[in-house]
Amino acid sequence: MLATVRSATLVGVWGHPVSVEVHVADGLPGFTIVGLPDASCREARDRVRAAIVSSRLTWPSKRITVNLAPSDVPKSGAGLDLAVAVGVLVADGQLEAASIADLGVLGQLGLDGSVRPVPGALPLVDAMGASAIVVAARDGAVAELVAPERVRPVTHLKEAFEALAGTEPWPVPPAARSSPSAEPEPDLSDIAGQPLARWALEVAAAGGHHLLLVGPPGAGKTMLARRLVGVLPDLSHEESLEVTRVHSAAGLALPDGLLTRPPFRAPHHSSSMAALVGGGTARARPGEVSAATGGVLFLDELGEFAPSVLDALRQPLEEGMIRVARSQGMVEHPARFLLVAAMNPCPCGAGGTVGCRCAPGALARYQRRLSGPFVDRLDLVVRVDRPDPADLLDTRPSTPSTEVAERVAEVRALARRRGVSRNAELADADLEQHAPMDRAATEVLRAALTEGRLSARGLRRVRTVARTIRDLDDSGHELRATDVLAALSLRMRIDREGGLVHG
Amino acid sequence: MDDAPAPTTGRGVHAERGVQSEPNVRPERSVRADRGVHAAALASLPRATPWRLQRLLGKQDPAKVWKKVETGQMAKWVAGEDLHDIWRDHARGADLAAVAEQLESLDAWVTTKTSSQHPPAIRDDLDPAPILFRRGRVADPTAPAVAIVGTRRCTPTGRSVAMELGAGLAAAGVTVVSGLALGIDGAAHRGALAADAAPVVGVVGSGLDVVYPRGNRDLWDAVASAGTLLGEAPLGAEPEGWRFPARNRLLAALADVVVVVESKRAGGSMHTVEEALRRAVTVMAVPGSVRNPAAAGTNLLLSEGCAPACSTEDVLVALGLATAGAARGFVERARAGVDNPMGGPIDIDGLDSLQRRLRELLDDGPVSLDALVLRAGAPAPDVLVAAEGLERLGLLARDGALVLRA
Repeated sequence: MLATVRSATLVGVWGHPVSVEVHVADGLPGFTIVGLPDASCREARDRVRAAIVSSRLTWPSKRITVNLAPSDVPKSGAGLDLAVAVGVLVADGQLEAASIADLGVLGQLGLDGSVRPVPGALPLVDAMGASAIVVAARDGAVAELVAPERVRPVTHLKEAFEALAGTEPWPVPPAARSSPSAEPEPDLSDIAGQPLARWALEVAAAGGHHLLLVGPPGAGKTMLARRLVGVLPDLSHEESLEVTRVHSAAGLALPDGLLTRPPFRAPHHSSSMAALVGGGTARARPGEVSAATGGVLFLDELGEFAPSVLDALRQPLEEGMIRVARSQGMVEHPARFLLVAAMNPCPCGAGGTVGCRCAPGALARYQRRLSGPFVDRLDLVVRVDRPDPADLLDTRPSTPSTEVAERVAEVRALARRRGVSRNAELADADLEQHAPMDRAATEVLRAALTEGRLSARGLRRVRTVARTIRDLDDSGHELRATDVLAALSLRMRIDREGGLVHG
Repeated sequence: MDDAPAPTTGRGVHAERGVQSEPNVRPERSVRADRGVHAAALASLPRATPWRLQRLLGKQDPAKVWKKVETGQMAKWVAGEDLHDIWRDHARGADLAAVAEQLESLDAWVTTKTSSQHPPAIRDDLDPAPILFRRGRVADPTAPAVAIVGTRRCTPTGRSVAMELGAGLAAAGVTVVSGLALGIDGAAHRGALAADAAPVVGVVGSGLDVVYPRGNRDLWDAVASAGTLLGEAPLGAEPEGWRFPARNRLLAALADVVVVVESKRAGGSMHTVEEALRRAVTVMAVPGSVRNPAAAGTNLLLSEGCAPACSTEDVLVALGLATAGAARGFVERARAGVDNPMGGPIDIDGLDSLQRRLRELLDDGPVSLDALVLRAGAPAPDVLVAAEGLERLGLLARDGALVLRA
């Protein structure tokens, strides 16, 4: 007898529908799985048999062949276990063929028959168009987000069997709720002093401009970067779905519901290329750049990252996505993140001050690790130093994140009126319309160009940053000389001695 | 200039005693002049210190000495038993044609103490350099020479003072001698070259074909074409640490006055000062802020009684080229209330109130931009724009993490 059960497998961050065809025939007892299963998928054989036996159901002593169609898509993981088990039970006649009509099945099996959650449940459920979808109870909430009213969460194979046989009703799915992020985000009011870095952070958040913080260890670079997420607005519904899908596919922990706050990802500088941009042989797992989509990618100790890894970030920085090509095909992952990087000015950390003890050669080597094209994409470069305690005594308390977040949200709203989600995305053609400059501002830029301080790419970037600065100030239409000058003074480069120079 | 008349005075001590061994031919007259290939080869012998080379060479012709080394006829006391054999084997394996080729392509000449082109000040020095490599012309040994030295990690102020001193001294006909390093040394030479007056002398620690620091290649070439580039190290010698103290002694030997522009308490410049004191060469120091670590060494020198160099005139007075009256011009300009005695009057009329405030704050010394924002009590973007404006007017300079009054 033949049974066909609908399920899905992950390709990149997207679910791909899979038909699990189970054929049970007389002959020498055996169990084969065909159709490009990977190792963990092939092992379903042993798990499914044990689970069925543990659930006090009958394992047919017959020749069982499982085909995973389409046979050219590589299948990975144990997410097809439950579908195979249900297929075997139907093909053996223990369940009615009608009971699995228009039914999607997704879940891993334990040897005791328990049904376990599957990484990427959200995109997988999304990919199955079935009118009822059986998932692990712990995937229920996530599945409910994309398939409301159609989810049938189960904890055990026996539960699924009884519901399909009609002897017991389906368990009730828990109500989905989008929970605010579990832990409160750190607040900007924790930071005393650092007026320039705080302002640069605000510009970065408001306009989506990539930011590099340069300063000695202990100056507060990491503290500042972690507070960037707190001033970003909530994700829109589409963004939420995308971010949740990526996190689900990457196997990251999810709250009970959609992620509504921008994610903050801080990969360590020893991360490999595959960990950062995504990859893996069979299914191209999304990497950190994709997990940071919609949020902040924080690269601490930028100078310690392998140069090849940093150069791989150029495509996502430019296009907002990353294409991962593997021998078995190519996938595109979303990667629209706000890059915040931090680095010491030199290996000893004191660069730019007289206390620096690095040999000039060591400094040059340290900085050569950052390729020009990569650094060119960092629009805001700010020096962060340990504040002088005397300067902090009589300063007013720092602005809290909520206040900054309001301004950021206003600027983002202005950007949406211009047809982009953030000012950094304004195209060349739109600049004349949305970021016109008065005569003085044009003059400043022309001078910067003739002095060789600015490249053509830099020119466009400076204009978008100046747009954000004006928006933050009083949202006037025309850019003034002061806006352009402020944008220029944030576009710095690290010089040979570890200080910042105009670049 | 290569066949300039043999100098007759060093620092007025010795007359020429030269055994003219080096064929002093114009390069254009013969296809390949002997640029001193044997001396160059001798300098490349393993573990050939100036002291050993001095004993090896004496007053002999380098070609003859080379022959002796090659044939193993060198006296054992020159270098000891081990080195005797090592040198002999090295000499037998040496490719003199390649060395000649290299000298030719660099347009470099090698002189020994017997050569009329060997700087007399170095020939007659306490620690003479027996073999010198040279690019460019033979420096006029009678011209007054001032070595301008200082730290590689200087402040913009130090750099501009060094440039100014270099330009002023060159314009007054003084040979500016320096080490072609980053920071003060390079700035002094750039200033002197910009004046386009008296020729300059650069003394380097590495081989003449090993440009160090690499970023100064343009400066090396400019010094070689507009003056003299000297080095004691053999061709191909890397800028190893021990070569720089040796270089510093040559700076001190060549100079009539050593001016330290900025120096930390310890470092190469202070070593040059010691060498100068050993040779009774006048040392002068440019005073700096007590808050400036890069001026700690110069201020220490001043407190120990070294003469201050506040202007080019001060140095000219020390050289006996100007009277004390000339130096007073600086004091008078300062008394007249001119803002920046070293530079000249500054027009501050075009500044807005925030820029004036920033200038006042900068009077306290170098400060970070963050501190400037906090102290000015103005929004960060306003301060950035104001500082940017000051920088354009040349009233503010960046120095690494700090900004300071320019």
